[in-house]
Amino acid sequence: MEETTVIASSSFDCGIGSWDLKTGNEQLRFKQCASPSHGLTAVGEKFLAASQLRNASGSSGSVFFWSWNKPQVEVRSFPVESITALTANSEGTYIVGGGASGDIFIWEVATGKLLKKWHAHYVSVTCLVFSGDDSLLVSGSQDGSVRVWSLIRLFDDQQRQHQERTLYEHKFDEHTMAVNDIVIDYGGCNALIVSASKDQTCKVWSLSQGKLLRSIIFPSKINALALDPGGSVFYAGGGDGNIYIGALNSKSDYATQFLGSVSDPSKAITCLAYCADGNLLISGSEGGVICVWNPRSGQPVRSFTFGHGKGPVNNIQVVRKTIVGNANKAQSSWKRNVSSLPPPLEKYERKGDDTMDGIVIVDPPLSSDVPVYSSYRSADLINEQVKELEQQGSAATEIEMERLKLEYKKSIQMNDQWQKNYENLLQVVMEEELNGGSN
Amino acid sequence: MASFERFDDMCDLRLKPKILRNLLSEYVPNEKQPLVDFQSLAKVVSTIATHKLLSESPSSSADQKKLQAKPAVDDWVERLLALVSSDMPDKCWVGVVLIGVTCRECSSDRFFSSYSVWFNCLLSHIKNPESSRIVLVASCTSVSDLLTRLSRFTNTKKEAVSHASKVVLPIIKLLEEDSSEALWESIVHLLSTIVILFPAAFHNSYDKVEAIIASKIFSAKTSSNMLKKFAHFLALLPKANKGDAGSWSLMMQKLLIAINVHLNNFFQGLEDETVGKKAIQRLAPPGKDSPLPLGGQDGALDDASWNSEQLIVSRVSALMFCSSTMLTSSYKSKLNVPVASLLSLVERVLAVNGSLPRSMSPFMTGIQQELVCAELPTLHSSALELLRATIKCIRSQLLPYAASVVRVVSSYFKKCSLPELRIKLYSITKTLLKSMGVGMAMQLANEAVSNASVDLEGFDAVSSKTPSLTNAAVLKGGSKKRKHASNSGAEAENSAVEVGVPHNHLLKIAALEALETLLTIGGALGSNGWRERVDKLLMTTVTNACEGRWANAETYHHLPNKSSTDLVEFKLAALHAFLASLVSPSPVRPAFLAEGLELFQRGKCQAEMKVAEFCAHALMSLEVVIHPRALPLDGLPSLSSQFPGSNSLASQKHSALGLNKMDRIAGDGSVLSNLWLANVDVPANSEIQRSIDTTLPLPEAKRLKVGNDLVGSENVQQGDAPMEVPESTKESLGHVSDRDYDVVPKEVVSETQEGEGLAGKDSLMEEAAVGKKHESLGESDDDSIPSLKADDYLSSASDIES
Repeated sequence: MEETTVIASSSFDCGIGSWDLKTGNEQLRFKQCASPSHGLTAVGEKFLAASQLRNASGSSGSVFFWSWNKPQVEVRSFPVESITALTANSEGTYIVGGGASGDIFIWEVATGKLLKKWHAHYVSVTCLVFSGDDSLLVSGSQDGSVRVWSLIRLFDDQQRQHQERTLYEHKFDEHTMAVNDIVIDYGGCNALIVSASKDQTCKVWSLSQGKLLRSIIFPSKINALALDPGGSVFYAGGGDGNIYIGALNSKSDYATQFLGSVSDPSKAITCLAYCADGNLLISGSEGGVICVWNPRSGQPVRSFTFGHGKGPVNNIQVVRKTIVGNANKAQSSWKRNVSSLPPPLEKYERKGDDTMDGIVIVDPPLSSDVPVYSSYRSADLINEQVKELEQQGSAATEIEMERLKLEYKKSIQMNDQWQKNYENLLQVVMEEELNGGSN
Repeated sequence: MASFERFDDMCDLRLKPKILRNLLSEYVPNEKQPLVDFQSLAKVVSTIATHKLLSESPSSSADQKKLQAKPAVDDWVERLLALVSSDMPDKCWVGVVLIGVTCRECSSDRFFSSYSVWFNCLLSHIKNPESSRIVLVASCTSVSDLLTRLSRFTNTKKEAVSHASKVVLPIIKLLEEDSSEALWESIVHLLSTIVILFPAAFHNSYDKVEAIIASKIFSAKTSSNMLKKFAHFLALLPKANKGDAGSWSLMMQKLLIAINVHLNNFFQGLEDETVGKKAIQRLAPPGKDSPLPLGGQDGALDDASWNSEQLIVSRVSALMFCSSTMLTSSYKSKLNVPVASLLSLVERVLAVNGSLPRSMSPFMTGIQQELVCAELPTLHSSALELLRATIKCIRSQLLPYAASVVRVVSSYFKKCSLPELRIKLYSITKTLLKSMGVGMAMQLANEAVSNASVDLEGFDAVSSKTPSLTNAAVLKGGSKKRKHASNSGAEAENSAVEVGVPHNHLLKIAALEALETLLTIGGALGSNGWRERVDKLLMTTVTNACEGRWANAETYHHLPNKSSTDLVEFKLAALHAFLASLVSPSPVRPAFLAEGLELFQRGKCQAEMKVAEFCAHALMSLEVVIHPRALPLDGLPSLSSQFPGSNSLASQKHSALGLNKMDRIAGDGSVLSNLWLANVDVPANSEIQRSIDTTLPLPEAKRLKVGNDLVGSENVQQGDAPMEVPESTKESLGHVSDRDYDVVPKEVVSETQEGEGLAGKDSLMEEAAVGKKHESLGESDDDSIPSLKADDYLSSASDIES
């Protein structure tokens, strides 16, 4: 069974709100969170992570973890610099953070180890997105550049020393102002990447060709993007409070469709999310209202208010959680798994021998509590043994028979021989006797 | 009396006891009657399973039936128990196996009430040292079935565990004393059942079990089939020790140490000695206490059989198989997988190819080398299997190690020429691609393509024809391959023509599957590299595989089954890969689309069902390629629209009416759009930039822009619309739209020419209807619009009906 939860956070300290998307009921409110835009992420189904704004002025950043069933912050980590964008791969095994200096950090969740850090952009990273299969990372920056990284190659130190290639796979520099959001569709190796920028355009890039396909101009700056996975359209949340519809294969240079707008037009749309289960679009605005739309009809379905309407919502994510069966034991073990949060993220890369201790921690599949079955074997055994007995009855006994026959023949021959000998002997004795008698 | 009774049909419940009684009297021996025919026993079992003879339907309709059914099953059970306690081994055996069958087939009430009696009967046989071997084998299997059934009752967990633990020690003792493989097999089966279902039963005997299993693996007498079974059980064993991560890691550590110790011996003279030392050091760091060797303190690691290369290799293979099973079977706890050790072990094994390092050559005799080389392929094969299991286990978390795995795979591809090992390599390639996705395809594509072309063609013809398309790395690889292929040039050419050689088939199938996976995962990446080459290669392969042979498919029927299924498999693999090459994304049109369609069309009519089925599927997939679709979204207007479309809601809700209006202005629609396009000065990116940078509040310009490009925003003034629309249209549309956006003009123009696209209203019928309405509407244009709306709907409905 699955449960669809919407999580949202704000740049003010309003915590993280969570709602059940189907029923609209508010769930747990996680405390103590003021995150930058793109600073909130669910790590797989395991826990929530959010980068914090508070310490941004200080020398180090901070990233907090919450488990799904406790409102308090459970793990605090303090990376070397403030993390402006945070994301995790779909399995929840790696967390990637983009720093204010343009560096990108990749941590292993299970151990908290900082596996890699590299200089990705000249200025602060604004958003990070994993490709559908988690093998590529797309990053956007304050200076308008978008880059595509192959994680496998990033980890390949050996090859990097030999080849004078750039670290990134593609670089897209056509945006003239900060990139605000990036989405990537389900095209696999032929995926389309859409980036939204402050320069009032959304640009569609081809992953396989590594080039700009088209640029679509909007009437205001675009803060947020959401992709309709099946419809080849994307929704763009504008600074003017409107949600626009753009086509991935648009022939026009201009965005032509319009979905709706939030009640207060002066409040910009700050974030969007799309939930394929039920085809719902979720928007968050500066006014603190989270609105769920039916994009087919263009009507708002329901809305949540967040932070008493004070703080702007700046992150929304739809999280699907698997609920493991109702058996008590299963539930408790699942909870146990979930509540044990990993250690904090480490500040520095380990050097020397310690870099790789060569252990990877693999989580058990959530469904492992499904009862195990073994198979019955008696019936097969009967057939096997009967066959064996039959074979003994045929091949083995045949051989045995032949052997016995041969022996029998031999003994008969032997018998004959003895008999002959006996007869000969008898004859000799008889003759002797007769001769003796005659003597 | 009974003989006059008639039954409804073959499902009649009253039939069951009759049949059961009949079986009992005819085929099942009793105390006096000797067992005559073993074959009849199989018949008894299958009849019971087919008719569900032992399932007593509880409280089913009539009492009379119940009265009859019960005694029959009672008789059955009584007879079995009598047989089980018989002195004659054959009768006893029959009783024991049939109890096993009864455990599976009988009703849950009966099982629940009598399982402990049955269990004790069986256990007494296992404990009795006098029991004949055939009875022991049957008893172990029957106990396993009994426990399996018992595990499905949730309320008896404790009792079940205590029952299970009672049987562990006796069977371990048997395992130690007896040397019959058949008995070992059934004991291992029983142990596996217990470890899966009731791991707690091993509570006290864990170490002992481990020691005995290990000693069996290290024993010289165990056959290779049995070795695998022992290794499999050993892999499950950590579940028994509380099933925690610690016991798993400990077992893995012990296995890896044992493997490396064996290898140190085996590789003496073939590799640098420090390699082995390092491996052991990594597994058991000097500072920490190293674990006991596998199988406990007296683990039989140092016996006389060190000298037999074959024995060492079969042991190491069994241990590697055990580690692979541990990696791939599911556990309930987190696992600490020692990836680095596993990978370095694989690397270590694959690095040894039997050649002697120059410095070592004086220390090894030719015979020694010969013996080692004879066994190396088995060892490599196990190592590759271990590599695959590792990748499968950690999937995306392979990331930090992925690059080194790629290097291992590609360097081994270059060295390895044995088909069996290459098949394994292809399957690793597939696993890597599937688990790591596009990023892996970028790394592995060239290697996979150049190797697959060698295996599919015998020589790398395509790459030599088109050297400009491949980069330097591939060329290098390719030239090496050509050299390798030239050795067997004649043979390779032959095999390309005659496709009968079975092992070659398997290799080709593996290569085709690897290419298919590559195309599925990363087909678009090769568009300016290997893609063209692969498409061509697959085209020729599929042509060779299919052409000329489809016509006389029947001729294969007289051949032995094996080779004809092999051919079908090969054909299927070729078709699969070929379809992938046609469908996989690419910026250019597939070069062999026409040939492909024809091929699949012909294939659809084949007698071989699997091939025909796949060809039909392929045609369906290709339909999208030949008729590309841009279906309108329900609810949203077609987005290929180049018009400043609009609030889609109004047009959608009243699409019938909307179509009308559009039809009307269809004529001038294009004019309008041209007009609009001309009016708009397309601000280039930089221009916008400039205007923002300068932050000049240009209200007029901005308003103009907004009015032009944008759609439904509220501040659009109607007056700003740069086109003139017939008054009536505007009015009526404005009226019908629920929401009062005054953006009608733009909406009106949307998509009229391709009007069918709108909201899927594309049937000719409807168009005709619309046309008619259009006229009627024209007359009533000036009248009140609400009435017209209703009218319109009505008329459209009736029109369609007529």
